[in-house]
Amino acid sequence: MLRNGNEGMSTIPGFSQIQFEGFCRFINQALAEELNKFPAIKDPDHEIAFQLFAKGYQLLEPSIKERDAVYESLTYSSELYVSARLIFGFDVQKQTISIGNIPIMNSLGTFIINGIYRIVINQILLSPGIYYRSELDHKGISIYTGTIISDWGGRSELAIDKKERIWARVSRKQKISILVLSSAMGSNLREILDNVSYPEIFLSFPNAKEKKRIESKEKAILEFYQQFACVGGDLVFSESLCEELQKKFFQQKCELGRIGRRNMNRRLNLDIPQNNTFLLPRDVLAATDHLIGMKFGTGILDDDDMNHLKNKRIRSVADLLQDQFGLALGRLQHAVQKTIRRVFIRQSKPTPQTLVTPTSTSILLITTYETFFGTYPLSQVFDQTNPLTQTVHGRKVSCLGPGGLTGRTSSFRSRDIHPSHYGRICPIDTSEGINVGLTGSLAIHARINHLWGSIESPFYEISAEKAKKKKSRQVVYLSPNRDEYYMIAAGNSLSLNQGIQEEQVVPARYRQEFLTIAWEQIHVRSIFPFQYFSIGGSLIPFIEHNDANRALMSSNMQRQAVPLSRSEKCIVGTGLERQTALDSGVSVIAEREGKILSTDSHKILLSSSGKTLSIPLVNHRRSNKNNCMHQKSRVPRGKSIKKGQILAEGAATVGGELALGKNVLVAYMPWEGYNFEDAVLISERLVYEDIYTSFHIRKYEIQTDTTSQGSAEKITKEIPHLEAHLLRNLDRNGVVRLGSWVETSDILVGKLTPQIASESSYIAEAGLLRAIFGLEVSTSKETSLKLPIGGRGRVIDVKWIQRDPLDIMVRVYILQKREIKVGDKVAGRHGNKGIISKILPRQDMPYLQDGTPVDMVFNPLGVPSRMNVGQIFESSLGLAGDLLKKHYRIAPFDERYEQEASRKLVFSELYEASKETKNPWVFEPEYPGKSRIFDGRTGDPFEQPVLIGKSYILKLIHQVDEKIHGRSTGPYSLVTQQPVRGRAKQGGQRVGEMEVWALEGFGVAHILQEILTYKSDHLIARQEILNATIWGKRIPNHEDPPESFRVLVRELRSLALELNHFLVSEKNFQVTREEV
Amino acid sequence: MVREEVAGSTQTLQWKCVESRVDSKRLYYGRFILSPLRKGQADTVGIALRRALLGEIEGTCIARAKFGSVPHEYSTIAGIEESVQEILLNLKEIVLRSNLYGVRDASICVKGPRYITAQDIILPPSVEIVDTSQPIANLTEPIDFCIELQIKRDRGYQTELRKNYQDGSYPIDAVSMPVRNVNYSIFSCGNGNEKHEILFLEIWTNGSLTPKEALYEASRNLIDLFLPFLHAEEEGTSFEENKNRFTPPLFTFQKRLTNLNLKKNKKGIPLNCIFIDQLELPSRTYNCLKRANIHTLLDLLSKTEEDLMRIDSFHMEDGKQIWDTLEKYLPIDLLKNKLSF
Repeated sequence: MLRNGNEGMSTIPGFSQIQFEGFCRFINQALAEELNKFPAIKDPDHEIAFQLFAKGYQLLEPSIKERDAVYESLTYSSELYVSARLIFGFDVQKQTISIGNIPIMNSLGTFIINGIYRIVINQILLSPGIYYRSELDHKGISIYTGTIISDWGGRSELAIDKKERIWARVSRKQKISILVLSSAMGSNLREILDNVSYPEIFLSFPNAKEKKRIESKEKAILEFYQQFACVGGDLVFSESLCEELQKKFFQQKCELGRIGRRNMNRRLNLDIPQNNTFLLPRDVLAATDHLIGMKFGTGILDDDDMNHLKNKRIRSVADLLQDQFGLALGRLQHAVQKTIRRVFIRQSKPTPQTLVTPTSTSILLITTYETFFGTYPLSQVFDQTNPLTQTVHGRKVSCLGPGGLTGRTSSFRSRDIHPSHYGRICPIDTSEGINVGLTGSLAIHARINHLWGSIESPFYEISAEKAKKKKSRQVVYLSPNRDEYYMIAAGNSLSLNQGIQEEQVVPARYRQEFLTIAWEQIHVRSIFPFQYFSIGGSLIPFIEHNDANRALMSSNMQRQAVPLSRSEKCIVGTGLERQTALDSGVSVIAEREGKILSTDSHKILLSSSGKTLSIPLVNHRRSNKNNCMHQKSRVPRGKSIKKGQILAEGAATVGGELALGKNVLVAYMPWEGYNFEDAVLISERLVYEDIYTSFHIRKYEIQTDTTSQGSAEKITKEIPHLEAHLLRNLDRNGVVRLGSWVETSDILVGKLTPQIASESSYIAEAGLLRAIFGLEVSTSKETSLKLPIGGRGRVIDVKWIQRDPLDIMVRVYILQKREIKVGDKVAGRHGNKGIISKILPRQDMPYLQDGTPVDMVFNPLGVPSRMNVGQIFESSLGLAGDLLKKHYRIAPFDERYEQEASRKLVFSELYEASKETKNPWVFEPEYPGKSRIFDGRTGDPFEQPVLIGKSYILKLIHQVDEKIHGRSTGPYSLVTQQPVRGRAKQGGQRVGEMEVWALEGFGVAHILQEILTYKSDHLIARQEILNATIWGKRIPNHEDPPESFRVLVRELRSLALELNHFLVSEKNFQVTREEV
Repeated sequence: MVREEVAGSTQTLQWKCVESRVDSKRLYYGRFILSPLRKGQADTVGIALRRALLGEIEGTCIARAKFGSVPHEYSTIAGIEESVQEILLNLKEIVLRSNLYGVRDASICVKGPRYITAQDIILPPSVEIVDTSQPIANLTEPIDFCIELQIKRDRGYQTELRKNYQDGSYPIDAVSMPVRNVNYSIFSCGNGNEKHEILFLEIWTNGSLTPKEALYEASRNLIDLFLPFLHAEEEGTSFEENKNRFTPPLFTFQKRLTNLNLKKNKKGIPLNCIFIDQLELPSRTYNCLKRANIHTLLDLLSKTEEDLMRIDSFHMEDGKQIWDTLEKYLPIDLLKNKLSF
């Protein structure tokens, strides 16, 4: 249904398909699988039996619209109906009952949970199975271990020690003999010896005492339990003990699952049937055999590569949702059992529906899912910065999360690129910082095999006989374990001399190595030069000229680009822009053909086969990242349209193509130091022509509570002791008026919290007023919603949400228009990022030979050390494209056609542009790509020719307005009494050790003293400084230590270390102890 | 000797329009030459003119727009394809030609369904539209649609900060830069001693004035800037002030006041050297003044009583206080002239 039949054609798969396929699998298969597991609930005493049937379950269309769910903070879900049977005595009832709601994925591949878009990203985990490893210990002796990994991630290890005894490490501390383990699993010594290839080794190590221990299964289990749980003494075998061991050990460490069973069979050459998902004694014995084989050299020495993708599996939305569904069904089962019991007390006649409808039961499913989406680490808030971000977010794969690795502890090898990543996981697109290498992005052609959880990559099959038979090439999807056995031509040089392919040798991959192989030996070849890259990587033109680190930064920064008020297509692109924009779902696409009846700013009316469809448009709505989402209609009235045509465009798309930035004229030259160290100098034109202007919508909300005394808070306009100026925007209800312009510290919602008037709680003046004039001072505290620092803008929406009469929530949406300004971050598509340092009037900017002032000036020193030469190619080609009114879409690795192909292309286009527009300065053979330009202030030409061009520059979401911060006084953290951290909390700026060194180096003792004491954590000094400044006294000089030092002393004391200082009198050597 | 040479080059400085074309209604192009210039002069004139043309030319544009009943500028109006925001952006692009001073009103009043272009703007007599086909909005339904506009002649661009207009009008961050681009190039000709330079000047404008007009205006603006130098240097006040401005006060305030009193007749009193800190005002009054950007005595004296009263939390008593203080220190006649309490 999702994958169309034309497998032969190599179209790029839909970018959001990864998520859709996962969810479809959940709906179509996983639900039935879990419902099948639901046991028939029987109550033998009362002859009652309740059963759910997996067949014929139904999902209702969601009762609310998607956008309403967002606006009203609800969950977008649909009701699940299952057929159920209730046998009650001789009465058999069959009914289709609702068992609760399931969140539904929308067309973006996301879920809406409590009004917030959330997405579940795919987890990449070690497959269950067995992995062998040999390593040298500190004495240089090889140690061989086999690790068995269960479906839940539990590990147990098999190892041979020096005395050639074989142990199974079952928990972190405990190891037990392999004989005990296999006996406990149900085989006796005879069977064991029959089934292994080296019985002499097995027989060699047990002594008489041990042999006695394993003579029966019960004894072995007892022994196992004793060692596993570390309990001594005499235990008697019992069912409960057996059950506990089952629960604690066998279920967690021995359940292999479907995938694990296949891996086990494959690794140990077993033929145990697929439905046997548990670890069997045969597995253990075969695994031990293999281990012995490795140790004594009879077997093959083959270490498993844990980082190979064949040993990994994808845990997608389907699996996670399935687990949760199983969990919810388990709870449902308990609830139904409880209800059945209750039914008999009440003596009422139950139906299948009444058994599952008590209030707690009916919301079981949705609460399970809401907790899952709210707390599970892999369910993330959907990143809606721009269309690219939306598309890429669903295609992330993460090694983190439950059962996975952690950022701090994982090794370098697990973060590294592996040859098996080719065409599956992008080698460049990963996050920077602590999680580098642990979160990746799927390559554009990769698809997930949901059955086995493997990532597959497509290749053209070109085996010799097949190529002869038919000209058409077959596309095959190879999973990582099959990949290795093929010789894969890497795609380059294939286009060369197509006629005489047979005589050629081509570079190819075979068994993780790069070889040069004759063409006829090649089995498959890659299908597309971008096959190896993720979407972010494949949007970088000339990526092959960039250092991988910079390409990485670029693919990350493109995801941070803010949509601009008027977008513009890139002149130089890669051709993938269209599909990225299309699959992101920000544009409205015609679902069927028809004719446009009318277009409006908030809807399009489409007449299709006699019916009129109203297609709503998004109007200035807030995204998760506080951006502005807005759709503009792109079809004129009365036009006939086809299915799949773009009706309206969202943010950052133009003509159906992704348009994240603007093409601006750049020059690479130093300018008065204003572009030192990655700073960027820009022209005023970018400000006043609204080139980099973006809109941001912030949501501010406040809720009324009931105080502990039971009186409710009140939203009102009458707020005492506040300047009228601050209240000017409030309407008579006390909420800010729609359309008013608000500034920092204006009141958005006036709220009063009632206070019990006690004599002591009065502030000093109030008490005085009361005493003198008998005035009643207000008995309430003002707890209004104020616009925080940095906020200003137009109130575009005010929403009241009232769930019950006392609990009112008011939301105010404020739209802010932000021009580019000093301190904003801009970046190109090659990892070339910088901060705006100065905005110059256009007449001051350097200008070209035709008088055009440059828009941005970058530092040329930012190029050589970063090795992102792609930006140079882009800017030169961009200039040519701008003059010729052409747009270029360039596939990477064009150097396979001929040497220096990129450079040749750029220069020929520049030459063409120069000829066409009769501008000789565009291409000058002595310094191609560069031009002599002039200083706008003096009119003098600069000494050297300068590289100029049109680059596609993005404005990133890191804007000064959200970063700038200062503090005079503010909160202190409780324990250390130092100022708190962070802008959101009005925090201070840390003066760290290096800053202290700087002050020490300068010799500014008093400033240092001031920073370390009364500006920080010296409590008494802090209080006295206020008085001292008011009265103009000397600032006191305290000698006792500041608060954090006292914390240190107390922490030392808790370790039984006393830190104190004593004063010894010179006269009589009397010791006085000073308390710290 | 210099004079002789100038006299020797018999030709006088002449300019000529070499090329002039209208590429579109909003793109005019003109090419001018100025010759003969002596070596180096072309550069002087060229860069000065380029900068003046790019930075000093005034233009007319729509500065504000007021819609009938629209809650805010990001809302939409039923029956119009564009949102208010997009209409404002379209209005920003409209190029006008005028020679007005100050602010004028214009309006659009149409009935849909139809496309609204710049032609539909009802303009005051002195203003005309350059490109009547510029789109503004698209009415899709039969509704009455009215916008009141405010037209302003200005220089450069303004991003308006005080947007808190309660009357429901919205500012357009208008750009009044009629000159799109300027370029100049210099050609040397002649031989030997008689080398002279020709200045080529290329001007692109947005149509609200022709390149020729732009050149004229820029030259006039440039001349205006230099004019003060042509007048005789003014004696007295300003010069004295300037002389004192940069010398740090060497004697105490009291002394200076006596000095002032002695030199009562002399007009030049360095009022802007006396900071209000020195007046020993009560802290409340002092803070009030500081907040109102009054730092020196000159600032204070340049304000009228009404100005002072308009300062936040400034009371009658404060005024009195200031008056008393000033009276104590300053020559009365001066106060009488300047302050009208």
